[in-house]
Amino acid sequence: MTTTALKNPSEAERQLTDLFSQQKPEASQKAAFEAFTRSGLPHRRMEQWKWTDVRQAVSRLATVDTAADTSIELPSDAIELRFDGSAWTIPDKLSEGLKIFAKSGGHDFAQADALPLGALASSMTGHSGEDMLMIEVSAKVDQPLVLTYHGGGAAAFSRVVFVVRKDCHLDLFEHYSGGAGFSAFLAEFGLAENASVDRTVLQESSREEVTAITTTAHLDAKATFKQTALSFGGKLCRMETRLEHQGEGAEATLNGAYLVASGFHTDFTTHVTHGAESCVTSQLTKGAVADGGRGVFQGKFLVPRTVGQFTDAEMQHQALLLENGAEIFAKPELEIYADDVECEHGNTSGQLDDDALFYMQQRGIPKPEARALLTEAFIAEALGDALKGVRDQLIEATRRFLRNQGSN
Amino acid sequence: MPDDVRVKDSIDKGTVAAAKALESENYSAGFKTDIETEYAPKGLNEEVIRFISEKKGEPSWMLDWRLQAYERWQTMDEPDWAKVDYEKVDYNDIYYYAAPKQGAKYESIDDVPKEILETYEKLGIPLREAEVLLGVEGAADTAAEARGGDQKPRVAVDAVFDSVSVATTFRKELEKAGVIFMSISEALREHPDLVRKYLGSVVPQSDNFFATLNSAVFSDGTFVYVPEGVRCPMELSTYFRMNAENTGQFERTLIVADKGSYVSYLEGCTAPMRDENQLHAAVVELVALEDAEIKYSTVQNWWPGDENGKGGIFNFVTKRGDCRGARSKISWTQVETGSAVTWKYPSCILRGDDSQGEFYSIAVTNGRQMADTGTKMIHLGKNTRSRIISKGISAGRSDNTYRGLVSINKKAEKARNFTQCDSLLIGGDCGAHTVPYVENRRADAQLEHEATTTKLSEDQLFYARQRGLGEEEAVALLVNGFVREVMQHLPMEFAVEAQSLLKVSLEGSVG
Repeated sequence: MTTTALKNPSEAERQLTDLFSQQKPEASQKAAFEAFTRSGLPHRRMEQWKWTDVRQAVSRLATVDTAADTSIELPSDAIELRFDGSAWTIPDKLSEGLKIFAKSGGHDFAQADALPLGALASSMTGHSGEDMLMIEVSAKVDQPLVLTYHGGGAAAFSRVVFVVRKDCHLDLFEHYSGGAGFSAFLAEFGLAENASVDRTVLQESSREEVTAITTTAHLDAKATFKQTALSFGGKLCRMETRLEHQGEGAEATLNGAYLVASGFHTDFTTHVTHGAESCVTSQLTKGAVADGGRGVFQGKFLVPRTVGQFTDAEMQHQALLLENGAEIFAKPELEIYADDVECEHGNTSGQLDDDALFYMQQRGIPKPEARALLTEAFIAEALGDALKGVRDQLIEATRRFLRNQGSN
Repeated sequence: MPDDVRVKDSIDKGTVAAAKALESENYSAGFKTDIETEYAPKGLNEEVIRFISEKKGEPSWMLDWRLQAYERWQTMDEPDWAKVDYEKVDYNDIYYYAAPKQGAKYESIDDVPKEILETYEKLGIPLREAEVLLGVEGAADTAAEARGGDQKPRVAVDAVFDSVSVATTFRKELEKAGVIFMSISEALREHPDLVRKYLGSVVPQSDNFFATLNSAVFSDGTFVYVPEGVRCPMELSTYFRMNAENTGQFERTLIVADKGSYVSYLEGCTAPMRDENQLHAAVVELVALEDAEIKYSTVQNWWPGDENGKGGIFNFVTKRGDCRGARSKISWTQVETGSAVTWKYPSCILRGDDSQGEFYSIAVTNGRQMADTGTKMIHLGKNTRSRIISKGISAGRSDNTYRGLVSINKKAEKARNFTQCDSLLIGGDCGAHTVPYVENRRADAQLEHEATTTKLSEDQLFYARQRGLGEEEAVALLVNGFVREVMQHLPMEFAVEAQSLLKVSLEGSVG
């Protein structure tokens, strides 16, 4: 088997190359790994990774201490798929209009060059003993679909492709709870005309784990993709979403919140292309970071010439530094080639409003409690669209985090 | 842009006209001056650097400094992260030194070759002090008009023609106030210790690819030193003119404002229309000590190339100010209308406690121009404040990018920044981009970033209307106020271009 050799590979990169060679890769996997080798593990000299240096964080692949799995009580009617780091467990009985199957010889991962860790994930699926997982939705599925990811030892990889047919709908909850020293997951969504997906993601890792969750989404006309993500980070965590509006009138909501303790790192990176007229994107990202933690937000709207006319896009990032020494790095970016569009971006970072704190205190609420309440309310705004069955639990997880930070 | 280009209705007509007036076919500074020129051998090597240093009669430490930079430069890669796309320069195919054959600095203004005097006259830059004092020439008139005042401001000019400074006006008068204002080549001879103390202290030799190249081959530029407690009695300026073919211009400017002093400095630049691309890689270093203030303004109007993108200047410039002392202030104002490709980020290092940095910019691109410009505000000291106001206007097939960094260090207690950047597209063939980077490490920092469409406030509009103004008049009034935010920070001695920009509005911004 021949692949391009990595330039001066690190130990981890050598291990990845070995892992790759141990599988029987399909042509598409070879192409993806080839794309990965062009950059190797992303590092800070790459513009898109300047604040999230994966090469430095993953010096070698090894089993590490893992985070306690936050138990989330799933909605009683949920259909649960479990990934243990090497294989999927799929329930026998699925609801009408839902088809789930492993597929070999998957299609090429088209955005491999822009998403090196997505490319890595799609090249490695053979290693996990499973091929790519296909999830096809051909009805309005009432029961929420739940994907849980936990385990894998030194490394875990998966690739899941969602195809949502015309006029169909899926409610989806994904829970990533660590269990591998290094993991790279890829989720691809294809939404046909008027299809809709309501996706909620919860990510947790330990401070020794490096996790990359890469998402791509293609929206046909009038499709709706709604995403709410809550991330607690890890030694390093990258939540990257690359979405393209391909049909007129498609709508996307990309909301997220990050809560970062000392020694943790979370990165929310999004890239939205308005490749069709009159599409709407709304994005709200909130964050709270403790001393010694780092939160990164990189958002980009790309509005191409002609096809992107009448775009309506808004990006907001607001973050709280819980203490001095917390790091919040943001890059809200616009690239616009069409002249009749509305694109806005806003970015703020700082601390809680003193007036609001004072007001609550003079109403008899002790300062730490007032601070916790205000911070929780601040974060919760970005979680309001989460799936009903888990929303309160995400807010409860937020509350727990703030309590542990000594905010009350 | 062709006359029939479709422009969104909400865009102010005056803005479209102002942008059109800046198209390359209207470039008035594009003439060539025929004058015998002496060149260094073509290409870049140690010999050429020695040649430049010798021509300037520099001390040996300066030559060593240049050679060190050259050694470093050979190991560096040209940066490629900016949103500009150009054919890479063949660094061995240009002249690094070109000077009028009749010598560089002239004893008296009467010795300056008449071709050069005429060149500057044609550009509206009078070099004869008497003429400036009498207000004979157009530039001062323009400025006075622009300000609407009766008092004609006086401006001292250092005129740099290709690689050498040819004249510096009002030097004697400035000397009386203790202000040193001369070309950097002269300063290296007359005040070597002062230059040595500050040169490279803001932009180190190996700062970036273009700055390192400049450190190796810089030919001329301006040196300003304002002593403690002195308010510089007039505005200082340098006018850069590139004339010779196949030549790069690499000037180096160093301005030091000692404790409690104040200086306002203005630079202007133009070049002839030539079919080949020419490289301009300058370095500007500003040092403001305790309580000092430096105001630095640029009207950049290098030849932008024709409407098909042929020719034009590559403007790859490193400008940085160091607010070294407490309560110091550095303010950058730029009007960018020229150059085929611009790569330029005038920055402030806010080191002193309570220091302030400001950046005001209007960048207009036409034709096939590409501009990637913005600023960096590095907050290190306590209670440091910065403000960024940037307006980008793209027309034709151009690309205009704002790229800016605000960085709050862990020790920068109570730092504050306000950023506002707006961009406007005129027609559907151009691009407007915004790339702000914000790095915050302080909970008590206050950072605000706004890059929204400039919508007129309903209240303001209502107020103006109920005072009897028609809707159109009211809009014009409010919109003009909006662009004046930048313009009011600009001394306008050279700025005929800038005046037409007063008509510009960003109504109808895209983001």
